[in-house]
Amino acid sequence: MTKNLDLTDIQGNIVKAYGAYNFHKARYLFMRIDNGDKGRKFVGTITTKVTTAVHWTKDDASTGVAKPLVTTNIAFTYSGLKALELPRASLKGFPEDFVMGMRERKDILGDDGPSDPKHWDKIWQETVHIWISINGQTIDAVNERYEWILKQIEASDGGVKLLTGHRGENGEDDLPYQDASVLYDASGNPTAKEHFGYTDGIGDPVFEGQTNIPDRVLGRGKLTREGGWEPLATGEFILGHVDEAMEYPRTAPAPDLLSNNGTYMVYRKLHENVGSFNRFLDEQSKIFPGSKEMLAAKFSGRWRDNGAPIVNAPDDESKKVWDEKFAEADFAAKKRMLTDFTYNQDIGGAKCPLSAHIRRINPRGSLEYGVKDAFDTPGALVNRRRILRRGLPYGKVTDPIRDDGNHGIIFMALNVDINRQFEFVQQQWINYANDFKEGNDKEVLLGNHDAKNPGKVVLQVEKGSGKPPHFVCNIPRLVETRGGDYFFIPSITALKMIAGGIIDPT
Amino acid sequence: MATKSGNATALTVLSPIKNGTMGEISYADITRERCLRLPIHENSPLAKVPNTYLARLFILDDVFYESLPGSDSVFNFSDIFSFFSDQARRDALPKIDHLKSKYLVFSSNFHGDLNEYLAGMWENWTYNDQGIQHDVRYIWEHCVAFDEVTDCNSFISYIKRCQLDASLFFNGSTDDSLQEQLKALYLKQEFTKFVTTHQGKSAIEIQQAFKRFIERVQPENLSGPSWIPGQSNP
Repeated sequence: MTKNLDLTDIQGNIVKAYGAYNFHKARYLFMRIDNGDKGRKFVGTITTKVTTAVHWTKDDASTGVAKPLVTTNIAFTYSGLKALELPRASLKGFPEDFVMGMRERKDILGDDGPSDPKHWDKIWQETVHIWISINGQTIDAVNERYEWILKQIEASDGGVKLLTGHRGENGEDDLPYQDASVLYDASGNPTAKEHFGYTDGIGDPVFEGQTNIPDRVLGRGKLTREGGWEPLATGEFILGHVDEAMEYPRTAPAPDLLSNNGTYMVYRKLHENVGSFNRFLDEQSKIFPGSKEMLAAKFSGRWRDNGAPIVNAPDDESKKVWDEKFAEADFAAKKRMLTDFTYNQDIGGAKCPLSAHIRRINPRGSLEYGVKDAFDTPGALVNRRRILRRGLPYGKVTDPIRDDGNHGIIFMALNVDINRQFEFVQQQWINYANDFKEGNDKEVLLGNHDAKNPGKVVLQVEKGSGKPPHFVCNIPRLVETRGGDYFFIPSITALKMIAGGIIDPT
Repeated sequence: MATKSGNATALTVLSPIKNGTMGEISYADITRERCLRLPIHENSPLAKVPNTYLARLFILDDVFYESLPGSDSVFNFSDIFSFFSDQARRDALPKIDHLKSKYLVFSSNFHGDLNEYLAGMWENWTYNDQGIQHDVRYIWEHCVAFDEVTDCNSFISYIKRCQLDASLFFNGSTDDSLQEQLKALYLKQEFTKFVTTHQGKSAIEIQQAFKRFIERVQPENLSGPSWIPGQSNP
């Protein structure tokens, strides 16, 4: 069933992962509104430059607009919407998770120990109202748009304040923005890697209304009983559209014009303990029956160099074969090799461990555990737990044996129901393992491993192979939360109405 | 009597609480407050009653009234009676029931004989509340006719008088004794640690270490190293 989305009404970052469109640089700004009237005027001005989801002619043969050098998008916390003086009757329709904000939800998310909000960047100790993103093809384009935004903040005459307090490369703790960028290889070419060396950003859900669905849906939509793939319901990712339960999302506040074509964004600054990761991988690979890269692939579910899914390349030998096939494949076939797979031939996890990152955050059809027709469709327990991932790495690793410094990933998850989608995956599938029949074993890379009571993961082996399973123990905390919050990304219509002070829920 | 599942029993006890108040607070609220102040985990009196798998205390205020069912069919079934008279229709509407008093509810899944279990409650239920040690009588103090309970035997017959059948008992574990189950959980946890610590070692090293492991954990000794009832830390 095709569905036409009003692309000119939806903010571009919802539908597009800008990094894949050559926008290699990003800057994130956060503001506080000190005067409702002036704040609304500011929002109105910014909206004139907000990037929509409209097709760009360079990437799509049909009509559209030229791809810009820079994009801009805007979102608000609940406090921000209150400061903009949205009517009470609209405010009370927002869901509890968004209203509380990410800091107050730390027990659900497992943001404890080094990830506790008291250790977050200084800016997150204040109340944040507005998020603005600038994504540029060059750093100059980013700077130009940044200067323009600064001018608008100044023109607000005290109505809007740019918040400082971001940690920087050189020990600063009061920077006025958070920069992010793709990582470059030794020759200066942009890569899709993050600081642990993994190739990132491969899978992303495909939903009705996106373009080129047949090319993209394999492995990224939802599984049918016949083993094919279909796009997910739009309403899992965009408010005002029917979702997988065949309802309109209940997280939409009144009136429709406020919520339609909007969504919620989870923004998290995730610091990566690169030193600990390298040490841990080195130590563990000494006792692992396989190469270091194979072990790294067992942690993530994908090989670091090219993202090959380990379920289809479970050891060093088969990886060589996969690589050869990949080298000969055309662009479309390459994408399919990377995304079109299930765990149906690997229910026990001997190829891709049940604690591997990508298996935990998207188990595909494997929660049926091979029981025929256990659910309506193989992905019935998974389809409503998907998130759109946006974001880029930040910072540079100057010394790979150290953990300190300012480097990691600016991670954004876009979804219609923060609690049902993002928070569920974080709490139940990353930091806990009951659904994977693995007790308390946390996911290796993102789990909030406890230094006082370190956990393990089990790397299963083929039944009847005569080999023992391999245990990965004493896992250090590899990723720490350094800040973030929950935001509402309104449609263009909603932005204009918010700016005009004419949101009316009666 | 109590429903059993092998050696496991589902005990459900409803003791009526005296209607009336002590000054400005009702006996039911006094009882509820005492329940809310019970210490938890290892310090809970429930953990001290031998062979308790899982026990729970709460105050039952009243039965739940489902409320007049909404309906979007042409009319409610009871409206048919309006063909006869409006009084007939009103008589056919759902009735509201109330309990004659509030109840202290105690439910427990445990292993073994009921009399032994109840004697275990009488003898071992002890805890500190606001500086004073209390036994099981402190929770039941304001229940109807509980002042007739003076010793273990009268306690056992009182509880049995308050007992209901459990009609659908799903026992969430085996029906082994609590000691067996706690020992089994302890051994499973310690063995997991043993396996992960000795991964990759030689056969001789593992055998020597395993001997020491067995000496330490004493699998046959149920009162030896084990989880304690109500344990809250790994």
